[in-house]
Amino acid sequence: MDLFLQYMANGVVIGSTYVLVAVGLTLIFGILGVVNFAHGEFYMIGGYAGIVAITVLKLPVLPAIAFVLLVAAVVGIAAEAILHKPMKNHDATSSIISSFGLAVALQNAALVVMGPQPQRLNLDVSKIPVLSSLPTDFGPVFLPQQRLLIPIATVLLIAILYVVLRYTWTGRGLRAMAQHATVARLCGVRVERVAIVTFITGAALAGTAGMLMSSVFFVYPIVGNMIALKAFTVVILGGMGNVAGAAVAGLLLGITESLTSAYISNAMRDVVGFVFVILVLLFRPQGLFGKAVERS
Amino acid sequence: MRVYLIALLAFAGLAVAPFGIGGYETNVLMMVLFFVILAVGLDLVTGYCGQFSFATGAFYGIGAYTAAIMTRDFNTTIWVHLPAGAIVAGLFGLLLGIPALRLKGHFLAIVTIAFQTIVYLVISQWTSFTGGQVGLPMPNAGPVTVFGVTLFEFGSLRSYYWLTLAMTALTLLISWRLVNSRLGREWVAIRDDETLASAVGLDTTRGKLTAFVAYAALAGVAGVLTAHSLRGVTPDDYTIWISATVVAMMVVGGRGTFIGPILGAVFLAILPELLGKFAEYKMLIYGVLLVLVVTLMPEGVVGRLRARAAR
Amino acid sequence: MTQFSRRHMLAVMGASVAAPSVLRAQSSDPIRLGGMLPLSGPASIEGRQILSGVQFAIEEANAKGGVLGRRIELVMEDDESNSTKGVTAVRRLIEREKSPFIVGTYASAVAIAASKIAAEYKVAMLSGGSTAAGATDQNTPGDPWFFRSWPDSNAQGDDTARAIVEKFKKTRVAIIHDNTNYGVTLAAQVTRVVSGVGGTILSTDSYNAGEQDFSSMLTKLRSLRPEAVYIGGWAGDGANIVRQAVEAGIRTQFVGSGSMNSDDFIRLAGPASEGFAVASLYEPSTPNPVGKAFGERFRARHNLDANTLSALGFESMTIGIEALRRVGKPDGLEIQKMLKGGMKDFQLVQGPAGTTAAFNAKGSVDFPNFIAVVKDGKRRLDV
Repeated sequence: MDLFLQYMANGVVIGSTYVLVAVGLTLIFGILGVVNFAHGEFYMIGGYAGIVAITVLKLPVLPAIAFVLLVAAVVGIAAEAILHKPMKNHDATSSIISSFGLAVALQNAALVVMGPQPQRLNLDVSKIPVLSSLPTDFGPVFLPQQRLLIPIATVLLIAILYVVLRYTWTGRGLRAMAQHATVARLCGVRVERVAIVTFITGAALAGTAGMLMSSVFFVYPIVGNMIALKAFTVVILGGMGNVAGAAVAGLLLGITESLTSAYISNAMRDVVGFVFVILVLLFRPQGLFGKAVERS
Repeated sequence: MRVYLIALLAFAGLAVAPFGIGGYETNVLMMVLFFVILAVGLDLVTGYCGQFSFATGAFYGIGAYTAAIMTRDFNTTIWVHLPAGAIVAGLFGLLLGIPALRLKGHFLAIVTIAFQTIVYLVISQWTSFTGGQVGLPMPNAGPVTVFGVTLFEFGSLRSYYWLTLAMTALTLLISWRLVNSRLGREWVAIRDDETLASAVGLDTTRGKLTAFVAYAALAGVAGVLTAHSLRGVTPDDYTIWISATVVAMMVVGGRGTFIGPILGAVFLAILPELLGKFAEYKMLIYGVLLVLVVTLMPEGVVGRLRARAAR
Repeated sequence: MTQFSRRHMLAVMGASVAAPSVLRAQSSDPIRLGGMLPLSGPASIEGRQILSGVQFAIEEANAKGGVLGRRIELVMEDDESNSTKGVTAVRRLIEREKSPFIVGTYASAVAIAASKIAAEYKVAMLSGGSTAAGATDQNTPGDPWFFRSWPDSNAQGDDTARAIVEKFKKTRVAIIHDNTNYGVTLAAQVTRVVSGVGGTILSTDSYNAGEQDFSSMLTKLRSLRPEAVYIGGWAGDGANIVRQAVEAGIRTQFVGSGSMNSDDFIRLAGPASEGFAVASLYEPSTPNPVGKAFGERFRARHNLDANTLSALGFESMTIGIEALRRVGKPDGLEIQKMLKGGMKDFQLVQGPAGTTAAFNAKGSVDFPNFIAVVKDGKRRLDV
């Protein structure tokens, strides 16, 4: 039982990253109809930005986070200018090829700039106020503070996102776009602004995930591949464009992987997600939590 | 008629080329031909039929591993492997075509990426069957005999190049006939408007599945040829980077044109050899090219030239 | 239009016919020696360290007046750890550069594919880091064309397993390995030998190379209370596992595969690498005087410690140059014959004192691996 609780906790930590990456991905799809194959690279860039901020620029933690968010905003604006703005008069499939090309370009640019070796963010938790005073033992469950930070940050960021979407003018615009783009435009929603805000949000969530994870795991140029595949799995399970669905599916996938690794075989953990996706796509393409709506 | 004449001249030129160039250059030309087959194949399913696939590397690998595993287990020759590779890859193409019946655009693209990843995991990790990361060695292709008379010694690079050239010619001819057939026009109809295509009574299921099978089978043939030329298979020759490269070749040349992907393959396959020590930026260049071409001229170089000529 | 392009094509073809005779080397020109390594892509970390050894060998040879009275020029090809690329590169090195032997490459699969082509041209290859038994096993016994001046990965697994049981006196062993050929074969070898010399294998877990989260696998492992954990796989993954294991509260003897014998591993694993043991072919603190002298010269030149990778790059190139010198002419077949039997007196920098380039029938040199242990952030042989 004690071990089971520890497995669950491990699953929640890893699942939280999936949530952060997948929510941005599903937002961009739901609001703008763009399938962003370069989303894993937002995560990768966030990881490297964190390393640059803390080990090269020697920034304290909070300014470092601000730095990562700034980089993410720039990346988001650039991605919108590449993947969304020029695609208005093209067929919908062009952005698939374009984002695939962007992913290939970003990974190889990272390879040239940062080199192929894995890198790690040395986050000294003892210097972070509040976090350093948090406990690491919860009954039988042990979570080091770097890991504990991940679900905490996820809950915070998702809560902020919820409030913004729910109560601000921009958020209402975003939701209106997701429901019906033409009507939203008629009602005075500024599409260009919404598009940019959406991409920035997606890049910021994925970038933060990348930064947080690089203190627990490593960052390397193609790290985005696997995380993007996981995020796509989550997005499909949750229903394309469904933010709450992505949040639930992300945690579910993390926990499933952790339990698979513990009770079945570690070699099977990556396969489980794929099997899920293929089954869901064949039998319930709208996702586990989606309504049966034809989207194409 | 003119098309056939030009094609004939081009192939005649390529056939005598090895007399004028060294083994290294012949080897490069041979690699270009592999990519020509792959790019034309992808164009059938994506360019003509409008179905996405990022799994070219997987079908290419399935063809190659079919040849290597049959060599190991049945000691068969390349003449058996060429049809076998096409059939096995074609069957997997059919398998991947099934989700294409229900899924559109981005969903299908994701499934093909998952398929590519799974195939790579299987060939790199099922060590007892595929040789795992080290792959499988294959003996020299050996002499080719018809009724006991030796025609070619395929062990030599030059004769193997000719075989590759002949197979390229054959696959291009088949593809050319396909896209100009009734079936090819059905593919285009599905790409342009699937709802309309089925409304006027076209069998879209048959259309999509045949396109996937043709695409996969061509990649399978390229795989068999590659495996024999390298005298073995290793998983890292069949990754998603191959898929990305072939997508770039097709898109840059021109989706839905016949000559476009061929020119794209020639250009992008030779490019790294010309880049010299900058060859390590190859994938970066491919990625940027993809973005630029899709943004600035989504119809590709050949498509743009044609549109201009028509105007 | 057609006519122009046809004339153009003929001109190009004519130029390429004429080119080889122009390029043919004069005997006073420098002699060009070919090397092939992964210089881009994920394996380029290793590739570049091996390259530094290869370059050092050429520098030293040129400082002594070159070979056969000619200066040596190194021609490098990047194989990107890709067989297709590797085969093309070998043809280029042999046909265009007339390299009488080739040093390469790191990825065993590429080395196997490339050495088959090289053998057809009657040009021998000296391993640029490939350690898989398969690379030398594919040689025809008695007539090898792929030479590796150090033992294969089976021998490494053997020596590591004995060290766990006999040197560290740990008998309850857990195995973790990645699903690459390297990890699988090493894990199998360690499992076999540990059981053979009186140890018990508690568990075997595998992972996919590049996987990031090992927490649940390690939580389960902790409950088995192993005395030693063997990890077979790439250095980055190994460092990740060691770090997460310490986080999960596993405090035992960690032992890794030869790939983890790098300073990168220690940097990535941080303090968790303390006490980590790894099989090693070369350390600057080696008891081998030839190796020690090499380490000192390398340090003086680069202000950097030599390691297994730079040592083996140096070794392969030096052996090739020496064989070329002894043969007296750049003849691939003669050089292979010399490597097969004529180098038994040539002392190596790798391995224990007195190790020589006595290649066996399969083209391998057998000597016991060192076991290095990390202490105060540095690998040491004396603990």
